Amino acid sequence: MSDPTGEKAPEPAIPDGTSVGVAETPYFLEGIQLHKQYPGVLAVDHVDIGMRPGEVLGLVGKNGAGKSTTIKMFAGAVAPDAGEIRLDGKTIHLHGPHHAHSLGLSFVHQELSDVPNLSVAENVMLGLGYPRRLGAFVSWRRLRQQAAEVLARIDAPIRPDALVGSLSVVQQRLVMIAHALARESRLLVLDEPTASLTNDEIEHLFAVVRSLATNGVSVVYVSHRLDEIFEITQRVVVMRDARVVANVPTAELDRRSLIAQITGTTSGQTAAERRAANGVGPPPETDVLLEVENVTLPGLVDSVSFQLREGELLGIAGLVGAGRTELVRLITGADRRASGRIAIRGRDIGSTTSSALDAGIVLVPEERRTQGLVLEFSIRKNVTLATLPQHRLAGVLPSPSVTQERKTAHAMIERLAIRASGSEQPAGWLSGGNQQKVVLAKWLRRGGDVFVLDEPTLGIDVEAKEEIYDLMEALTADDKGVIFISSEFPELVGICNRVIVLREGRIVGQLVGDEITESGILDLCYSHAADEAAPG
Amino acid sequence: MTDSTQTAPAGPAAARRPHLSIADFFGKYGVFVVFLGLIVFFSVHPTSGEAFRTWENAKTIFGLSAPLAVMALSLTIVLVMRDFDLSIGATMGLGGAFAITLMSKHGVGWGLAIALGLLIGAAVGAFNGTLISYLRAPSFVITLAVTTVVYGVEFAITGQKTIFEGVAPAYTWLGQNRPLLDIAAQAWVALALAILVWLLLDHTEVGRYMYALGGNPEAARLAGIRTRELKFLGFVIVGLGAAFAGIILTSQAGASSPTQGVAYLLPAYAAAFLGSTMFRPGEFNVPGTVVGVLFLQVIQTGLNMLGLNTSVVNIVQGSILIGAVLASLVGSRRR
Repeated sequence: MSDPTGEKAPEPAIPDGTSVGVAETPYFLEGIQLHKQYPGVLAVDHVDIGMRPGEVLGLVGKNGAGKSTTIKMFAGAVAPDAGEIRLDGKTIHLHGPHHAHSLGLSFVHQELSDVPNLSVAENVMLGLGYPRRLGAFVSWRRLRQQAAEVLARIDAPIRPDALVGSLSVVQQRLVMIAHALARESRLLVLDEPTASLTNDEIEHLFAVVRSLATNGVSVVYVSHRLDEIFEITQRVVVMRDARVVANVPTAELDRRSLIAQITGTTSGQTAAERRAANGVGPPPETDVLLEVENVTLPGLVDSVSFQLREGELLGIAGLVGAGRTELVRLITGADRRASGRIAIRGRDIGSTTSSALDAGIVLVPEERRTQGLVLEFSIRKNVTLATLPQHRLAGVLPSPSVTQERKTAHAMIERLAIRASGSEQPAGWLSGGNQQKVVLAKWLRRGGDVFVLDEPTLGIDVEAKEEIYDLMEALTADDKGVIFISSEFPELVGICNRVIVLREGRIVGQLVGDEITESGILDLCYSHAADEAAPG
Repeated sequence: MTDSTQTAPAGPAAARRPHLSIADFFGKYGVFVVFLGLIVFFSVHPTSGEAFRTWENAKTIFGLSAPLAVMALSLTIVLVMRDFDLSIGATMGLGGAFAITLMSKHGVGWGLAIALGLLIGAAVGAFNGTLISYLRAPSFVITLAVTTVVYGVEFAITGQKTIFEGVAPAYTWLGQNRPLLDIAAQAWVALALAILVWLLLDHTEVGRYMYALGGNPEAARLAGIRTRELKFLGFVIVGLGAAFAGIILTSQAGASSPTQGVAYLLPAYAAAFLGSTMFRPGEFNVPGTVVGVLFLQVIQTGLNMLGLNTSVVNIVQGSILIGAVLASLVGSRRR
């Protein structure tokens, strides 16, 4: 869970926000010397943090840096061991999430946490006491009215009686924000709110955030996406190794210095710099490894064809809903294709998982927790799940040899630098980056010619991301083919030989070698989008 | 804040700790301690003690546990895959009734009768498995509906009568003989089955895959595991096991009576769920199921020896079950 600090890099000199004289408005909510120690893990180390009315505060840091625990203290979900929380100068003791909410402290978590089988109105007012009729029965009419008022405040064009399960992701997130704001809010904490949103949707969200701030609400914006931090925040607090290491006005930061603060190193490369530094070029002139011809799944993937060469790192870009995940699930047999041909080295393969696996195509799926791992299994059992027959007792009996399995697991823990207490630790207890590495380890042990990684870096910290890039590059150096899906286009710019862009299930263009730039990818994603009818 | 920090804070530290904390101990062995406590209680209680603390009584408990053990053990396989089968009670009745009827009314030899009795159980399991695994029908409704069908078939075969004529002596050997250490043959058979199921679940690839399927079906499928075949196999085994339990039961009684299996349905689930609170909390496991079965039988026998009337026995039995499960929750609850 914690990122081992390793050797401490020299602290880059960073001005302290309090000394720069931006403190025109006093903090209305403060955490003073907050401290939380879990067994074996120091989660929050004497942290001072404050929020001002009308200010958007960015909270950034690697996974395990302590952001989550800090936020949870304000939400009343975690009790600090030491330190205090002051609201309007008075020390308060939060009894629980409900108490925090009643004080006007609202939290929108990263995961969609609304109730899909209830209506929008029921979700927005959930837990706040529905309006009553005759003292006992819910007044649905007034409930809808109340919800509509809240939704109007954030300019969300959503019908109060729609089922939440039928809404798009952004609409669901707006419903969650509306729920957070249904009670008079003074603080709104948004945790990675833009995950899986399109750019238009992000713009809408930002507009909502800005208007809330204008109305005096204090917003804390937690995100790994630094561009968003620069766009929306006025002040940034950086946490590292359980401490606050910087508290500065956003205007005084640039991307490089922010990354330096987050990682504690002085590098902080941009994607283009990484590309140049590692000498990433166009695809090698090698044999064709994978052929995909007219692969189709009606309504989702429309006659997609491309080739992948040995040692090529191919990026697949597109907006959410463009069919990227659907396409690679067809290629890897996770879903059955309706038509089309897939071949490895000229040999056709069937449309099931096992035929794809036998042909050497492996998928690291999008959702590591729900699709990649058996969470209650140990690292050992997860790593060997796809190669159990290679770990037989005495080499022949269909009975797994724990000794053999441990050997494999330990080798993988070392190779991928998985941070865990040992091979018997349940995968569910690992941090996201380490969980992803366990999924990768499973497939590395299995081996294969084509590795398909669907959003492998989603929600994991900068260091773990670098390690996963390195791993993909090591695979291509070994003449494997790698297909890499990412919604963070700079990642694709940093490592891909070639990028194909999907829109509405079709390939709309490709970029090769130095043509790969973030703006190039974005142009393709949005090309023609304007003159087509808005998709449903 | 991101999903990667959702790690249970106590997790890594707890795993690093080499010794067993008190909470861990109760989480794993709490119900087992209650079980031992009950044995001690019945052994020293002035009313039940003298009869309870005898080797003869222990042997009786082993023998009486056998049909339930066979049921619960096969059920454990399906539960491991996070599925369930409500038709096992009916299948148990059908298996026994079919074998008895074949001998009694059709002059079939005992060996063939047993084989066909097992086969009809496997057929019910295969039917359930086909509907649930391949056609993806919900197991709750399907196995409930199949229960009714199976009862219908049993009634058609037996005419809803108790059948006791023409049962081959060899057939009753399993339930009525004590071949080794003066312990009933059926208890030895149940023990052998426990070892087999334990080997299957804990020491074969198939077993590992079954646990993986229960933990995360999608991850299991993507790992190349044939999840549908596996689940189908599980239902066939549970059907087979239920029919076998029915054969043991009718062998013990030397007769088949209508709806004889239904009394075993809920105890089989109770034993398996009790078992899942022991040794590997949250996971269905064979040692747990075995102790769960003995737990239930000890309560039953002990309370009877205390001379309590049936209503009290029921209430006490249920309360002890609830208490046992709560005891394990106290230990395993993590923040």
